[in-house]
Amino acid sequence: METVESASLVEDVKMADLTIEAGAARPHDHPVAVETRDLAVYYGAFRAVKDINVACVTNMITALIGPSGCGKSTVLRSFNRMNDLIPGARVEGEVRLDGINIYGPAVDPVEVRRRVGMVFQKPNPFPKSIFENVAWGARVNGFKGNLNELVEGALRQAALWDEVKDKLRESGYSLSGGQQQRLCIARAIALKPEVVLMDEPTSALDPVATLRIEELIGELKERYTIVIVTHNMQQAARASDFTAFLNMDEDRAGYLVEYGPTEAIFTKPRQQTTEDYITGRFG
Amino acid sequence: MTDMRQHFHQEMADLEQTLLNVADQAEQMVGMAIDAVCLPDMDLAARVVQLDTHIDRTYLEVHDRWMALMARQQPMAGDLRMMSVLLHLNTTLERMGDQCVNIAKLAQVTFGLPRSERIVAQIREMGDLVRPMIRTGVEALVRRDLDEARLLPAMDEPIDRLNRNMYKEVVNCGSDTALLEWATRMMMVSRALERIGDQVVDIAEQTAFLLTGEMMEFNDEALGKSGDNGNAA
Repeated sequence: METVESASLVEDVKMADLTIEAGAARPHDHPVAVETRDLAVYYGAFRAVKDINVACVTNMITALIGPSGCGKSTVLRSFNRMNDLIPGARVEGEVRLDGINIYGPAVDPVEVRRRVGMVFQKPNPFPKSIFENVAWGARVNGFKGNLNELVEGALRQAALWDEVKDKLRESGYSLSGGQQQRLCIARAIALKPEVVLMDEPTSALDPVATLRIEELIGELKERYTIVIVTHNMQQAARASDFTAFLNMDEDRAGYLVEYGPTEAIFTKPRQQTTEDYITGRFG
Repeated sequence: MTDMRQHFHQEMADLEQTLLNVADQAEQMVGMAIDAVCLPDMDLAARVVQLDTHIDRTYLEVHDRWMALMARQQPMAGDLRMMSVLLHLNTTLERMGDQCVNIAKLAQVTFGLPRSERIVAQIREMGDLVRPMIRTGVEALVRRDLDEARLLPAMDEPIDRLNRNMYKEVVNCGSDTALLEWATRMMMVSRALERIGDQVVDIAEQTAFLLTGEMMEFNDEALGKSGDNGNAA
């Protein structure tokens, strides 16, 4: 039921409401899980991204696309303060999670990362059992409920349960690449986040495992808001509801060119720069 | 600017050129089919039928090349719209060729029957309107010219009017059975020309879609009038 509602929501969105020339990209009348306000991220003196205003709709998949070095991953990492962990990184502007600026003085970054989970490019299970990989985050967060149920639920949501239910005590490393990535997704969602960030989650996987993850992402949006960085434009076209296209200016600072429903971006982009990029004409 | 998909863009351009050549051929076939009816000339009629086999062959070939390009290149944005236009154009031109064959065959079955010069003149007039329409429609596509594409519905209007009027001309042929048989067939020729006019408007709509990303009917009203004389296909 939730899937049907989500699908109709996308259809109802008017392109004119969403596509932007510059400045804020805020889908009207849709709940927004996480959004940036005039976001700029610096690595030392280098400004990696600037003027990023993008609002990710709740229970939708937002894809960030753009050429290498345009700051897609930087923007993604700003959504859960992962940039804090990079020496010299500095953020200007705001990232609002449910309306609260996560860079505000009273905000605990650990809590932010619990609410905004992350899946990385390369599957990175812990050197622990499959069960512990999923249970670990909850355990260190002081989870008091039934851990078995939590692990099973997360593995089921990650479409991995049937494949691992009989070998939960085996190492996470015993799984195939695609299974490991789904294990990492299970690990992320075991903490019951509101938003799941995915940084090129299939770039290390074969085509079958890739499609499986894409299908899984489509199912996960019923429960989570998903933001995905991908180099693969076909993947953005297949798997996302909204697409943000970032490019670089002459100072190599990434900026948002266009944001809108994926269907519009890939059939009728408003900006010539977007058209040129997705049809392979650039430079 | 560097084109990172040069091979694909070249193949797409080749496909477009193939179809533009078909459009030129279709335009010539319209002229030949009208001459076949009006002169009348049975050699021309046979030639039209023969030329259409070439259009049919090209239609299948373009379809295969189109499928392969879609499967292998997965075009996006303007490229995707262009591919959509090419598929539509392929079908439209194939049908245009079929209409020419219809006219040519009507020339064959009416050969030797008595004729009305008024009706012959009207068929000629329709042909003189349709052929420039085809040229304009193709030119608008080649030049990516939205303003030129938007001229087409107005160019189609007099053809529709003449087609509607054809019914009266046939009635005026009186009670000569042989003449009536000829005239009734000419109503079908008129209808075929009217359809070709509509097909050119379709091409113009595709050009507008290519350029704007908006798919819209240029002239619902004009298209809706085609059945007014009870001569609908």
